[in-house]
Amino acid sequence: MEKAFSFRQAETLKKIFKKHHVKYLFIGKSGAILLGYSDTTQDADVFVKKDPDNTSRLVSALRELRFKLNPAIAKDVLQGKDFIQLRNGPFDMDLVFAPDGIENFEEAWKRHIDVQGFPVCHLDDIIHSKEKANRVKDRESLPRLKAFRDYWKKR
Amino acid sequence: MQKTSQRLEWVQEFEAARKRPLHVHFNNAFIHTYKPVMDDASCRSFNTMREYREWCEEKLPKWLGYGKSL
Repeated sequence: MEKAFSFRQAETLKKIFKKHHVKYLFIGKSGAILLGYSDTTQDADVFVKKDPDNTSRLVSALRELRFKLNPAIAKDVLQGKDFIQLRNGPFDMDLVFAPDGIENFEEAWKRHIDVQGFPVCHLDDIIHSKEKANRVKDRESLPRLKAFRDYWKKR
Repeated sequence: MQKTSQRLEWVQEFEAARKRPLHVHFNNAFIHTYKPVMDDASCRSFNTMREYREWCEEKLPKWLGYGKSL
């Protein structure tokens, strides 16, 4: 089964999240790619507003997207646990409710960029979050990502 | 500071990516390869990011790069 996140699936996610009024932002490398960054990644990283109404709508949206949410994981999504990995749907998705280095969803939303209807965290937030996470893979990728930010801001 | 030649090469890559339609750029970017341990469960949840980072440090192979050091 093809598991790479395709543009067609991204369009479906956008449509279904919109239908259910889910407040979310693409973040991480998947967000940077939507902003035009040339690199590869595996999963969709989605920053979701931690709010009981929003997480309830998110569960409905995920089920419509054909993620198989058992009662336990559905409860975790409803609670908005900080980090949830989903490998049980049509593509791999990480739900992040409290990304490193970002104070809250509303502040990130004020700075977000709309890319053909996809809500994406500002590149400054994506970079800041990676700096705070400070993993080996982040440290390796940051120089190129910062070079992209310079390019992206000038264009 | 990155070497000038390296940055020029990157800018050329960014320019090339910019010329592609979003759907082409997107489909080029998302790949799927098996990540040991990480991909061996259908789902996982963590109460806090700290808990998630600790799990990555303890459980994932170092070479995946999810830890603070190799």
